[in-house]
Amino acid sequence: MGLKRNVGLMEALRYQGKGPMLTYILHRIGGLSIVIFVGLHILAGYLANHAWGANLGIFINSIYENWLFQVFIFFFALFHAINGLRIVILDLWPKLIEYQREAIWLEWFVFLPIYGIALFVIVRSGLGG
Amino acid sequence: MEVTIKLFRYNPEKDKKPSYKTYKLEALETDRVLDLLEKVKGYQDGTLSFRRSCAHGICGSDAMRINGFNRLACKTLVRDTGAKITVQPLLGMRVIKDLIVDMEPFFEHYRSVKPWLINDDPEPEKERYQSVDQRAVFDDTTKCILCACCTTACPSFWGNEQYVGPAAIVAAHRFIFDSRDKAAAERLKILNEVWGVYRCHTIFNCTLACPREIQITRAIGEVKMALTTGKTE
Repeated sequence: MGLKRNVGLMEALRYQGKGPMLTYILHRIGGLSIVIFVGLHILAGYLANHAWGANLGIFINSIYENWLFQVFIFFFALFHAINGLRIVILDLWPKLIEYQREAIWLEWFVFLPIYGIALFVIVRSGLGG
Repeated sequence: MEVTIKLFRYNPEKDKKPSYKTYKLEALETDRVLDLLEKVKGYQDGTLSFRRSCAHGICGSDAMRINGFNRLACKTLVRDTGAKITVQPLLGMRVIKDLIVDMEPFFEHYRSVKPWLINDDPEPEKERYQSVDQRAVFDDTTKCILCACCTTACPSFWGNEQYVGPAAIVAAHRFIFDSRDKAAAERLKILNEVWGVYRCHTIFNCTLACPREIQITRAIGEVKMALTTGKTE
């Protein structure tokens, strides 16, 4: 008797884990984004070298070279890298874990200016500036 | 003040699906969520089921999701939740009835790390001595009350209940770093298995949820480091 164990994605996302939970979710989306990006890249490269798939390869190429896609992918790839670095540092030096809140602030402090500059360059070139 | 409390309800003998019921009641800002649950059960709906025992943050029976976050109902004040409160059972456990979940998988993981002192050396004439510094190493992890707030706040555990979970690792840490214990290697071997300590992705939900403010992620980090270096002192 009783309900089955069931943790749906939406229910899990609604858990109020605050800052650390947000970084975890963004990290996971980032990992997935990188896989999609690299996957598309490999697929487009493969198809472009075959006459039967050249058009499809060029089409896929145009997706990830699109500046809107780059705004998205750069956000998640950069966040994934910086957040991963934070986790590696905390895993290697557990005593620093008591400063985890500050580590997350520092992470955003590093991330935002770098992403801001990249965003400026991508949008400017995307809009033909 | 008037408080609206929305409760997760499920009776396995009557309901096919769980539902939510809302109750309105008068409360003080200094009332605890547990007091509100008692009022609902006592005066509005006697069928409501939830666990509670000491009601003072020691037994760990009344862990539940309050406004989407794992807490002990006996340590959560209305002042901190506001006038609208939603109470749900712990996530990642099988619901038996209303707010009561099946804790057996949790305790199974707890037992798996052998949370007791193992030392086959002949008993000394008096006690086994330990310095203040040696005791301080694992002081934090002695505070665990096994409420399961940490384990059920962990996305790795949500993903797969085979993961040993933060509470069991905390229990293991308490003995791995105890200078009187001789089974650290045995416990580390258990935690080095597929569903052991490396399923922790340093998310910190456990640390934030712990009502005893144990630095759980740090304890897990120290166990990971002990596995890497082989040092437990």
